[in-house]
Parts: sequence; structure tokens; C-alpha cells
Amino acid sequence: MGKGSSAIRPKSAILFFYMLPGTFLFVALAIVPVAMAIFYSLFNWSGGPNMKFIGLGNYALLINDRIFLQALGNNLLLAVCCVIFQVGTAFVISALLCSKILKLQAFHRFSIFLPVILAPVVVAFLWRIIYNMDYGLLNYFLRSIGLESWIKPWLDDVSIVMASVTVPIVWQWIGLYVIIFTTAMKSIPEEIFESASLDGANGIKKAFYITYPMILDTLKISVILAVSGCMKIFEHVYILTSGGPGTASMVMAMYAYRTSFIGQRMGYGSTISVGILVISLSLVLFSNLLVEGRKKKYE
Amino acid sequence: MSEHSLIKRTAHAAGSAAVNVFILLFSLFCLFPVYWMLASSVKNDSDFYMNLAGFPQTFRPSNYLAAVNVGRLDIAFVNSAIVSGIAVFLILLISFVMGIVFARYQFKGKGFLYIMFLSGMLIPVHALLIPIFIELRAFSMLNNRFALALVYTVFGLPKGIFLVTAYASTIPREIEEAVFIDGGNIHQLFFKIFMPMCSPVLGTLTILSFLDAWNEFPFSLILMGRPELKTLPIALTYFQGQYFVEYTMMMAGLSIATLPVVIVYFIFHKRIMQGMVAGSVKG
Repeated sequence: MGKGSSAIRPKSAILFFYMLPGTFLFVALAIVPVAMAIFYSLFNWSGGPNMKFIGLGNYALLINDRIFLQALGNNLLLAVCCVIFQVGTAFVISALLCSKILKLQAFHRFSIFLPVILAPVVVAFLWRIIYNMDYGLLNYFLRSIGLESWIKPWLDDVSIVMASVTVPIVWQWIGLYVIIFTTAMKSIPEEIFESASLDGANGIKKAFYITYPMILDTLKISVILAVSGCMKIFEHVYILTSGGPGTASMVMAMYAYRTSFIGQRMGYGSTISVGILVISLSLVLFSNLLVEGRKKKYE
Repeated sequence: MSEHSLIKRTAHAAGSAAVNVFILLFSLFCLFPVYWMLASSVKNDSDFYMNLAGFPQTFRPSNYLAAVNVGRLDIAFVNSAIVSGIAVFLILLISFVMGIVFARYQFKGKGFLYIMFLSGMLIPVHALLIPIFIELRAFSMLNNRFALALVYTVFGLPKGIFLVTAYASTIPREIEEAVFIDGGNIHQLFFKIFMPMCSPVLGTLTILSFLDAWNEFPFSLILMGRPELKTLPIALTYFQGQYFVEYTMMMAGLSIATLPVVIVYFIFHKRIMQGMVAGSVKG
């Protein structure tokens, strides 16, 4: 800092006073809870006065816990589906949305983004009714196009329940990725497309050789966003299936909730929380490393 | 030659028609469930069952009254408004002040502090459900609207600080000098000069924080056990426990929770999109 600017630099005490409330709150309700989760994960504790220290016992339980592993598997399955169907479809839709042949662009942007701002609880309830056996939109639609044989108990069939849970999640957030991509695509200079057109490139070629490489970074960030978002899924599962039938659609957050608040096992619930934290953060770091590694290659 | 160009033009027209139809179908797929919810919410039962996907033939606004009575949605609406209001106010105030300091001043530990807040975007909030429950219970702060608002504030801060810092960095340096030459103090500089200058980003932040707080479910679920303190998303689950679900009433309940959000979206959709893209891509 130069002398000139130090004259108008506020006193440290004032800066401290400005920074304190936010920092205090954040430490108290985000940092301390992480430490607490780690602490309580070492105990056998039902939430009452009796706490028994069992070291890493809960962790030994966790890595052999079939329900937790199933939940983790479901989270990962969700993540793969979201990357393919959410990010993938969003890319195609965005490329089409940005093309000049499309009419009603403002309307399309408006309606595709609308689900993003709805409460996940509302979306989950809405889809529960859509999936309803007798009065659901889905079966109504199948019946009206003569596909009665396709009608299924969408949320009660173990073999398809994860697909039924995935669709509303993809549906709700696809619009976010569409807007992310169209924003990135609109920033590509128009001249590149024009000169490609003069060289005889068609729409598909332009999408592959211009749009795709130009927004590659945005695409990578979106993949990270989708993966970390899928690790957080809770409301949709809570409302649609509560993790059922049995534990067929269990996800990690639902299992942590059920263990701690229905099963009253606060110690083990904390262990599951730490598990979620470690898995999510390592996935994000891992995908970040992939992104950075690829970037260096290009430079 | 002319035949060739005619074929080419026809193919082009067919292609663009196909693209338009495809995107239109996709748009309707996104829109239709929301339309279905609103349409069903004013139908009577036979209209709902016999005319499932169609435009309402009947108009029964009493579904809304029934939903309010069964789910105590009036109380829940007020609770949601109070909690969201406090959270939005605190997020705005704290993000503004901290964002300005981060953007314009150097101090010891600044880098560490900034990274700490930004890393808050990475913490999966559901992993903190249990410890925050234990912590607030220890301070007897369960069933406390203010405490819930504080939790929402903390999870809204990273995005808020990030947005304000990015915006405030673009304000020219000369502003500070001009204010001090005129004899203004730091508080005037912050609240009389910077605050109006930041009003675009603060406006966006208000909308985004409101949507987050209004729609939040898991923390409200575990921290607000008492029925008279429940927020709207939790109150909606009351319908689920009923033996006989009246779908039109349920749709009315969902609409009550959704209408404020949809109204905000109608007015501010461009800003919401910009803000969400900025908050998620760069964060």
C-alpha cells in the first residue's frame, strides 16, 4: 500500500468491527459443526447424557454398512445420470437455443429455467402426484397414447425406483445448466461462426468444432456442479420414497437423517455426516484436479 | 443448379421446423407440471379426476381455504415470511460490509478468511444437519425462528460475499479519496456511497437469498419441531400423513407455497438467471 492510500485507509479496529459478526456466525454455524461432527462420530451416543467413546468403531461400522454403501451407490448413480442427462441434454438444448432458426427464444428460456426456482419439496410432491397410479399425469399420458402395458407402480417397484427419483431431479435443474451454457455460448464471437459458415461448416460441425471447445471450461465446471449437487440430494427422496421401497432409493443425506432423528443414533449419524463430507469434498477435489490437469495440457 | 438449391432450402426449412418443434416440446415439458399444479388447484374433484390434464371446467377456490385449514398454511406462511425476511436482511448487510472490505482493503489474514468463506460453498450442508441440531439444542435455540434464520444466513453468506466482492472490485479507487477529501467518514463511505453503488448486486442478492430461504427444507425440518413454528415446506408434509389425500386441496397447498416464488420469477427472471449463473460458475 502506498502512502497516499494509507491516508484514507480506515482504522484496523473499524475493519475488525465490520468483519466480526459475519466471521463469528460462519465459524459458529459452519466450522464448529464440522469439528463437532468429527468429535461425536467417535462416540456411541443416542443423544442423551450417556456417551461412550468407541474410537473409530463407528467408522469400522460405516465401511461395512450395507445401507450406507447402497446409499453411496445411489448418489453416484444419480451423479452419473445427472452428468449425462442434465449436463449433456442441456448442452444440446443450449446449442439449439442459440441458433438463429429458433423462434420464441425468450419464452423457451423462461419456461426451461422455471423449475430451478421451485422448492425441491414442491417439485417432489408434484412428481409424486404425476407418478400416482390412478390419477397421475404419467399413466394418464401412457393410457391416452395406447401404452397401457407400460403403466407401472413407478415409486413402488425396486427395479425402477431410482430412475423414477432421478427424473424429477434432472427435470428440476436442467434449466440451470441450459442458462449457464447459453451464457457461455453467447460470449463466443459471432465472426468465428460466420467464417466457419463461409468455409461450408453446418450446424452440427459448428457445435462440435467451435462451440464445444470454446465452452469446455464451462462444461467442466458444470460437471463438478452436477456431481456435488447430486451428493446433496435429500428432499426429493424424502418426499417421493423416504428411501424405499426397503432401502432401494436410499441416499446418504436421507440415511444420515433417518439414523440420527428417527433411529436416535446421534454418534453414528455424525459418522455418516463425516462420511458425506469426506466423499463430497474428495469428489470435488478430484474433479477439480482433472479440470486443472487438462487445462495445463492446453497451455 | 436451381433444383439443388431448392432441395437444400427445403431441407433447411424442415431442419429448422424440427428444431423449433423439439425445443417447444421440451419447454412444455418444463412448464406443464407447474401449469398442471395451478390448474388442478381450482378444479372440483370430478373435474380433476375426469379431466386430468385439461383446462379447468370448474372453479373452486375453496380448495385454497381447505389447504390453509388442514395444513395451517396461514401460520406457516407467516413463519416462512419472518424467517426469510430476517435471513435476507442479515445476508444483505453482512455480505455487503464484508464484500466491500474484501474488495477494497488489505489486512492480515485476508486471503485465509476469503478462502474460508468461499470454501463454505463446497460444504455439503446436509452433513451439518446433525451437529447444528446438537449445537443449537445445547443453547436452547431449537424452535427458534431467529436461530433458523441465522443458519440460513450462514449458508447464504459465501455466495453473497462472493457476488459483492466481485462487484465492488469494479468501483474506481478515486471514490474513497473524494469522500475523505469532502470530510466523510468510513461509515458514510460504506452506507451512503458504496451501498447505492452496489444496489444492482444487492438487488440480485435479495432475490436469490429470498428464494433459497423460502424453499429451504431440511434445517427447518429438524430445527422447528413445534407445529406453530413450522415453515411452508414443512407444513406441506402434513398433507402426506393424511389417510385420504384430496388432490385438488394438495395442489392448492403446493400453489400457495409456490405463488410468491413464481411472482418473483415473473418480475425478475433475467436477474435471477444472471445471478445464479454468476454464483454457481465462478464460485
